[in-house]
Amino acid sequence: MLSEFLVITVGAILVNNFVLSKFLGICPFLGVSKKLDTALGMSGAVVFVMTLASLVSSLINTFLLVPMKLEFLQTLVFIVVIASLVQLVEIMLQKLSAKLYDSLGIFLPLITTNCAVLGCVVLNAKSAPESIQSTWYGATIYGFCSALGFALALILFSSLREKLDLADVPEAFEGTAISLVTAGILAMAFLGFSGLV
Amino acid sequence: MSIAVIAIIAVGILGALLGIIIGVVAKVFAVEIDERIERVGELLPGANCGGCGYAGCADFAKAVVSEAASPDQCPVCSKEDIVTIADYLGISAEEKEKRVALVRCSGDIPNTVRSLYNGVRDCRSAVLVAGGAKGCDYGCLGFGSCAEACPFGAIEMRKGLAVVHKDLCVGCENCVAACPKNLIIMVPEAATTHVYCNSPEKGAAKRAVCKTACIACRKCVKASGEEDHMLVDGFLIRTNYENPPGPELVEAAACPTTALRVDSAHSADAYQGASK
Amino acid sequence: MSDKPRKFKGGVHPDDSKALSSHKAIQEAPLLDCYKVIMHQNIGAPPELVVKKGDVVKKGALLAKAGGFVSVPLHAPTSGTVKSIDKIPGPTGISVPCIEITADGEDEWASPFEPIADWKNAEPAVLKQRVWDAGIVGMGGAGFPAHVKLSPPEGKKIDTLILNGAECEPYLTADHRLMLEQAEEVVLGAAILARILGLKTAVIGVENNKPDAIEAMNKVAGKHNIQVQALPVNYPQGAEKQLIYAITGREVPVGKLPMDVGCVVQNVASAVAVVDAVVKGIPSIERVTTVTGKPLVNPGNWKFRIGTPISKALELAGGITEQPAKLLLGGPMMGIAQSSLNVTVMKNTSGILLISNDEVSQYTSEPCIRCGRCVDCCPMQILPATISQAVENKRFDWAEKLNVMACIECGSCSYSCPSHRPLNQQFKRAKVEIQAGLRKKG
Repeated sequence: MLSEFLVITVGAILVNNFVLSKFLGICPFLGVSKKLDTALGMSGAVVFVMTLASLVSSLINTFLLVPMKLEFLQTLVFIVVIASLVQLVEIMLQKLSAKLYDSLGIFLPLITTNCAVLGCVVLNAKSAPESIQSTWYGATIYGFCSALGFALALILFSSLREKLDLADVPEAFEGTAISLVTAGILAMAFLGFSGLV
Repeated sequence: MSIAVIAIIAVGILGALLGIIIGVVAKVFAVEIDERIERVGELLPGANCGGCGYAGCADFAKAVVSEAASPDQCPVCSKEDIVTIADYLGISAEEKEKRVALVRCSGDIPNTVRSLYNGVRDCRSAVLVAGGAKGCDYGCLGFGSCAEACPFGAIEMRKGLAVVHKDLCVGCENCVAACPKNLIIMVPEAATTHVYCNSPEKGAAKRAVCKTACIACRKCVKASGEEDHMLVDGFLIRTNYENPPGPELVEAAACPTTALRVDSAHSADAYQGASK
Repeated sequence: MSDKPRKFKGGVHPDDSKALSSHKAIQEAPLLDCYKVIMHQNIGAPPELVVKKGDVVKKGALLAKAGGFVSVPLHAPTSGTVKSIDKIPGPTGISVPCIEITADGEDEWASPFEPIADWKNAEPAVLKQRVWDAGIVGMGGAGFPAHVKLSPPEGKKIDTLILNGAECEPYLTADHRLMLEQAEEVVLGAAILARILGLKTAVIGVENNKPDAIEAMNKVAGKHNIQVQALPVNYPQGAEKQLIYAITGREVPVGKLPMDVGCVVQNVASAVAVVDAVVKGIPSIERVTTVTGKPLVNPGNWKFRIGTPISKALELAGGITEQPAKLLLGGPMMGIAQSSLNVTVMKNTSGILLISNDEVSQYTSEPCIRCGRCVDCCPMQILPATISQAVENKRFDWAEKLNVMACIECGSCSYSCPSHRPLNQQFKRAKVEIQAGLRKKG
């Protein structure tokens, strides 16, 4: 049991990192990684939403879709659930904590379209029925750890990009080009974790 | 019942449920947002130059809507834009004279004495080394910190001298803050004739280091006659921007050092503006 | 006190070229017709003028009084008339106000102070007041008022007084000659300073490349219970923080003063000025300055009155044999390049240096190749290469995060850079910008 959790944790954060080995969630990865501050904000928002979405989707899947043999609707239902969840969180946050909203607020709508969230939820639903990931708590932990993996990649990358700002980059490589090259090298570095679990 | 019907019903119910929840939550947690802020933001230039004194156009829009600032504080907006914003908010816009930057120095490389300098090519850094390489303590250093600070590409570096192109200048004052010698001032756009010198030294001291310095011979003061166009400030003549002279004064005064110039002649050439 | 001094990390070993003037005895400079005394000779507030044009002053008379606590008074270098109060080019290149005095040739003393012969029993406060009244500043180069360093705030205990005789700057030999020829005064000055601070002893740190000075100091040090510490030769050994580390093993934290680790550092030349002020009653109106450089006919060490124009100093050194490439006030590492010969000797002018064309490098700077030499040699252990990139991109916030404020502007990084990057200048810039930012924030 404990070892299974460990496998999920290490696997989701390092080995099967959503951004750097599954290549999900690339748009926020490139879009909000210019500064460490915004990357931290985005990471916080993603951790929050992904964990919640995993829990809710897992519950809907186990208690609604599977008993009614509606598994083919998974993608559709999950998107609706994630979208409304994000909407809900945004509305509530704006009222309850203006400060948190100011720091996370602008990233929340972006998460609706973050394929990493959908990917995580779908992976949970598609996991083998006997695995811990198919239980609601397993799914939640997987969602949380995947989000941590996303946050790790984003924070690493934004720190790199901040340094890249100071570097003398050849003109043809300036901007997105050098960022993509950097991301590629970072992904290759993460390949080193493969085989860990 | 076929599976399709179940699917439709299930998704329909789910959708309706989520819709209702969001609707209720949105009502319960409603926060009032002034949509005028967004609209005013759209009408502003969006250059985020900071010329208004706020952190950017969005910040300024907020201030304008809350009436902490008036739309004419934006130095970049044209008169029409300001009127549009004022009309939208239902307030009256005051007529404001447009002001442009003026670099009060005419000492380019051929006309001045300079010592050897091979440090950082940047005015603020150069000042730290013996006050810059220029013989004159007050003149333009010519490394273009102001041109770099200008978000509109209105300052051209020509032979080691910053030249403002007033058709491109919007009056954001970023260059004023960038100049370590405090050479740049804001003058009315309508004023055409300026003294391109800012050195308070004695005439002889100025002439020793610069061919085009104002030596305070007062020819221009005499030429302007009864009119109060030129002001004497120690060993320096300054243009009176309350009552600026016209271009005819240049010819009438026959400034022996050409420190008194018409700006169109000072900045005349085919400069198109720097791309930013 | 350990016998073996600690070696601080980093540092460089430039060719010291001290042989040009280290064997030349200190000579008294002849009286000039006119002296131009720059008003603001200290770090801190400028002094307030007390004379006006046309006033007749005697040698040592007050010209300007201290303009605050961190400020020192200014005295007349000779007797004569105040010809004008005008502006001349200052050592930083900006015109500064100065008092021009036409000498009457009498060189008559005003005798402003009563000598305190029995300083051993005098109140420390009285001695400290004398140091202030005499207008003594740190004569090693910084020009920080000496009395301020001698006034530790309540609660800070000073346990070590260090006299700085390291003289690590290449070319300069003024302190070297002073320790050799006026060893007794140096030691006496150390004892007086120790008395002001309530200490029994003091340490004089001298770099190993001056064995004769170490010997001379050792001979007389015992008289006043002063210790002499030989130091390894490593630029910037004479920088305050590096000196404290070498002698006591204490590190001064970033943004703190030597006082915070219980140390006070004074220059040996300041110590001699203290002896003059206390024992002889003479204010700080002259100093030993090295006039040196390969283009000079006769480099040497002279005792100049403050206000002596550099052109006169160069004349004394016999003039030049070739057109020099640079004129520096101070040493080659930290000295300031001059564009005018009208600059005058100030209380902190330790050297007047001419650099010949074959010594000076007029390279244009090239991109950083990340070799890390600057990081290796930085005595403050910051990262010059990275900070320089931050400054080039106007990221002063980043430079601040990378501790650019700890930079002591010793120039070791610029000296060692194979790409000839103007690192030191960039850090100066960053420090100015950051300080301006702090002032704006309030």
